[in-house]
Amino acid sequence: MIDVKNLEKTFGDVPVLKGISEHIEKGEKVVIVGPSGSGKSTFLRCLNLMETPTSGHIFFEGTEITRLPDREINKLRQRMGMVFQHFNLFPHLTIRKNITLAPVKLKLMTQAEADKKATELLERVGLPDKAEHYPAQLSGGQKQRIAIARALAMNPEVMLFDEPTSALDPEMVGEVLALMKQLAEDGMTMVVVTHEMGFAREVASRVLFMAEGTVMEQNTPAEFFANPQTPRLKDFLSKVLS
Amino acid sequence: MGFADSFRQNFIEDDRWKYLADGLKTTLIITLFAVLLGLVLGFLVAIIRSTYLRTKKLLIPDILCRIYLTVIRGTPVVVQLLIIYFVIFASVPISKTLVAIIAFGVNSGAYVAEIVRGGIMAIDAGQLEAGRSLGLNYRQTMTSIILPQAFKNVLPALANECIVLLKETSVAGYIAIADLTKGGDIIRSQTFSAFLPLLAVAVIYLVMVMLLTHLVSRLERRLALNDRR
Repeated sequence: MIDVKNLEKTFGDVPVLKGISEHIEKGEKVVIVGPSGSGKSTFLRCLNLMETPTSGHIFFEGTEITRLPDREINKLRQRMGMVFQHFNLFPHLTIRKNITLAPVKLKLMTQAEADKKATELLERVGLPDKAEHYPAQLSGGQKQRIAIARALAMNPEVMLFDEPTSALDPEMVGEVLALMKQLAEDGMTMVVVTHEMGFAREVASRVLFMAEGTVMEQNTPAEFFANPQTPRLKDFLSKVLS
Repeated sequence: MGFADSFRQNFIEDDRWKYLADGLKTTLIITLFAVLLGLVLGFLVAIIRSTYLRTKKLLIPDILCRIYLTVIRGTPVVVQLLIIYFVIFASVPISKTLVAIIAFGVNSGAYVAEIVRGGIMAIDAGQLEAGRSLGLNYRQTMTSIILPQAFKNVLPALANECIVLLKETSVAGYIAIADLTKGGDIIRSQTFSAFLPLLAVAVIYLVMVMLLTHLVSRLERRLALNDRR
């Protein structure tokens, strides 16, 4: 589904991604872990071109997306949902409007269709009574579940999660991870940058370890945590699992 | 001469109150249309400038905008008014009121632009990213996500700019427009008494400003309902 070939990204003079090649299958749940500054988020953000790669190629369903014109990039992003660390809900709109804005603006649904979809999605994320609330009235965990619903309203083929639980109070992490797990079980293709090792172990079909702008090691979750190969990963795991 | 006599002489005799009434009408017309022109120009410039600052697109329009801002904010409004009337429209038959609207509108636009640009830049970059990640283009994201939030945040500053503009139009007399200030001054020159006519002018400005302030605070309260915190 997604093919990455020799992806490089530099910010100014600083190389952040140093030639990453990766293949993500339909239905896979790829979890990316690694120390901060390793380029995890930048890699994820390159996949839907929120960051423009410096060099290299990304293919989505066989089409090279790396040098698309703007209009095509917007089309592409409709097929890839993204969830942010800081939720980025639209504070001036009700929850319902947050969810229906994009599909209606992009003329994919009428307002009535989108409203129906929003009601279904709110049911699915367990917040059916919040449709007419504003984001400021919700807790962090609720906001992130709405952000997931908002992304799902576009019927994306893949979901990208950029540290979705890092800005949450500890007691709210669980509800968001549970929703993501449910999404995974429904067969969604997911790429997740996270520090939640429990989630990686339980949900991932594959875990990538990124360090210093490269994918240093990858494996099935069981092997990844039981038999780390590189000293860098051993060191990382000893710190995060202690 | 007692107050009643003075009042009669300044406002009742020869229907002198009409100088104030007609002047007020002119002042309001100039202010209203100059505010509208200023808002349109200001939003346009603010959008161009913030687009350039965020995306590095629109370099040439951005340079033109910066020249406009520097020139307008670097020279007095009276000088701008005189130049527009006596130089730019010197050989064109055009109503003085229209000249004033253009001069004050173009002047106000520069200040509105910087207010609105500040409002746009203050919106978290995550809002733009969220809109773009859903597949909305830059323009759709601006109009349905960024601008509504920016507008609400800068409303008090915009209201202040309207108030400033209302008072600034008092220099319209420089190109012989009979606005409110000029009206009071005409009465003074006829009756040779300064106190009452100028006091009346001041009170009228004050009442208008207080009314505007009141309206804006009501509008602000209504908009604030959207994000109870």
